[in-house]
Amino acid sequence: MGLSFRQLLTMTGSDLRQRLRDKSVVIFALVVPLALMFVFDLTFGGMEQLELGDIEVAVAAPDDDELAAALVGTVRDLDVVDVEVVPAAADEVRPLVRSGRAALGVVVPEGFGAAVTSGQEAVVDVVEGESAGLEGQVVVAVLQAVLDRVNAGAQAAAAGGIAGLPPEQLEAVARSVAEAAPTLGTTEGETSREQLSFSGSLVAGQAGLFLLFTVGFGVLGLLEEREQGTLARLRSMPMRPGLVVAAKALTAYVLGVVATAVLLTAGSRFFGVDFGSPAAVGVLVLAVVAAGVSLVFVVARVARTAEQAQVAQSILAMVLGMSAGAFFPITAGGVLGTILDLNPIAAFMHGLGITSGGGGLGDLGQPLAVMLGFALVAALASRLIPDRGAAS
Amino acid sequence: MTRDTAPHPATDGPGDVLVATDLVRRFGDLVAVDGVSFRIAPGETYGLLGPNGAGKTTTISMVAGLLAADAGTVTILGRPVGPHRIDVKRHVGLVPQDLAIYPELSARENLLFFGRLQGMGGKELRHRVDEVLEIVGLADRAKDATKEYSGGMKRRLNIGIGLLHSPTLLILDEPTVGVDPQSRNAILESVEALSGEGMAVLYTTHYMEEAERLCDRIAIIDSGRVQAEGTRDELVRLTGELDRIRLTGTGDVAAAAEAVRALDAVDHADADRHSLLLVVRDAPTAVAAIVTAATRAGMSLADVEITRPNLESVFLHLTGKALRD
Ligand SMILES: Nc1ncnc2c1ncn2[C@@H]1O[C@H](COP(=O)(O)OP(=O)(O)O)[C@@H](O)[C@H]1O
Ligand SMILES: [Mg+2]
Repeated sequence: MGLSFRQLLTMTGSDLRQRLRDKSVVIFALVVPLALMFVFDLTFGGMEQLELGDIEVAVAAPDDDELAAALVGTVRDLDVVDVEVVPAAADEVRPLVRSGRAALGVVVPEGFGAAVTSGQEAVVDVVEGESAGLEGQVVVAVLQAVLDRVNAGAQAAAAGGIAGLPPEQLEAVARSVAEAAPTLGTTEGETSREQLSFSGSLVAGQAGLFLLFTVGFGVLGLLEEREQGTLARLRSMPMRPGLVVAAKALTAYVLGVVATAVLLTAGSRFFGVDFGSPAAVGVLVLAVVAAGVSLVFVVARVARTAEQAQVAQSILAMVLGMSAGAFFPITAGGVLGTILDLNPIAAFMHGLGITSGGGGLGDLGQPLAVMLGFALVAALASRLIPDRGAAS
Repeated sequence: MTRDTAPHPATDGPGDVLVATDLVRRFGDLVAVDGVSFRIAPGETYGLLGPNGAGKTTTISMVAGLLAADAGTVTILGRPVGPHRIDVKRHVGLVPQDLAIYPELSARENLLFFGRLQGMGGKELRHRVDEVLEIVGLADRAKDATKEYSGGMKRRLNIGIGLLHSPTLLILDEPTVGVDPQSRNAILESVEALSGEGMAVLYTTHYMEEAERLCDRIAIIDSGRVQAEGTRDELVRLTGELDRIRLTGTGDVAAAAEAVRALDAVDHADADRHSLLLVVRDAPTAVAAIVTAATRAGMSLADVEITRPNLESVFLHLTGKALRD
């Protein structure tokens, strides 16, 4: 046993030394992800401050026109933008906007409802003030979308010979459009306690994504040993056959833990993210690296060459990383959602969300279960899958 | 000698280093090794001579415990060999056919690494590493990464790693393939030296000159079977061919022919105007008597040329194919 352990450490030590000498590990495990964090932060970092505020809209609408009232109602009830409707007469709208008392003006013409229900095109005048900004754009876009749908519905009805569409129906159309259109920003909106900030998910996502590359370097060593012939020699050594694979796993594990720890630490310094309790974060790192290592072992089994393995692994890293939201938030329901929930990188990010919201080890049950379960299943699979590269 | 009459070790001879009995290994439908048996005595250099694809590497992989045999057994120093027989592997030094060294590490680091896996360490290991670096002639380049080495240097290091733990049995699988003539000679010389120190060596090659030069006994292997086994001379005798001596010169060639025909070693003599072609047994021993007899009979010699059937002829005789493809 003593000798076995020494042999294991000898192989792991030599592996780590070679990985570090061959600079690509340092580059892929640390330099590239850090660089990407900076790039993404520069490119998209501004969006976080892009909280849509409120806007005052001067609206003139004919009385006793249900459709006009419905149109004004959808604008007033928008989720994304707080719209304050300033009722005005048709000829007051323009001066209100010009004087800056309203950022946007909307004039619904006399006879709007009648025109629509008779199948004619409904037109609305919009006056944009200098302070309309992004909020103004959103309101205009919503108005446009609603009008398009209302017009399309009315024209279809007219073409079908239906004289006049019941206003309630058109109103329903208008509402549904207004609700469907501006989903923008709703995910940012609900910053629950378990959600990482933008910078937080950037750092955690890149760390999780590149983890797969990093542990890949450790495990790919096994294929490399085969290609450079050293595997045959290792097998001739007086040691237990399983030790070679164990050493690769240990190498991969050490590389993965070190790289992820460095990335999280450096990332949180650079981008001012607080991931919470170091102990809890440490446990998350240990678990996600275990999942990554076993996944890469499956790849090593299936691939015939180191090159094949590298390609497969890059694809897996991108798919798992992206679906976990390493680049942008992703939400999905149904079957897809369930699959995403089993993604260890997503679980890792979820776990970091919990710790950064003040959660401790006791709150990490679900993400830890996902990561360790994944590790276990992948480890089993890698034992069961026949080794395609072994026959040479 | 055919496979049926090939030596068939049933029991361990006293002190045999290696006994392989009826080894079989299949890859799918292909029977790569088909009932191979041989034994190696202490200090003996034993050759497996055969063309590419004959089954040499597969045989060696079973002998070194890298590959499980489908049938048959291997014992080293009386103990069975297999992938999980750790204790036996300690006595074997394997030099794989393909280079098996780490390109990013220096020669010394490679040696230290494999030495530690062999269970060596400390001063003993460092001392032995220096020794091996001397043996394979890499002492002055020991600190350079091996990826910067020439092909011959890599080969030499490859061999050095197999020697490191002073194994009882050193297995070399085609160690000179793709090596420049100078390195090749250095390799052959170091194998001769090791064998001189009493190490048993199992040597595979498809070069018959190497087998002739190095090996005490040789198995000729083809299509996974030992076609014949023995010393070089025993194998050559199988062809039924005798040595030939050609004497060239002037003077009384006919009288010289008459005189040498009377010698026991000479089977047959043909004369023409300036040369005499003889078929003889054991030319190296007989040549002196033949030259003396021809000269006394009045022929003055300009040249003497001996040709002997070699392992190439043996292979051709046994398989109907040339050894080299
Ligand atoms: N791992 C393997 N899978 C399938 N066939 C193999 C394998 N190893 C060797 N062979 C086949 O077995 C035969 C003997 O190969 P080998 O022992 O390498 O011959 P040699 O070393 O004499 O050149 C060849 O036909 C070779 O293609
Ligand atoms: Mg071979």
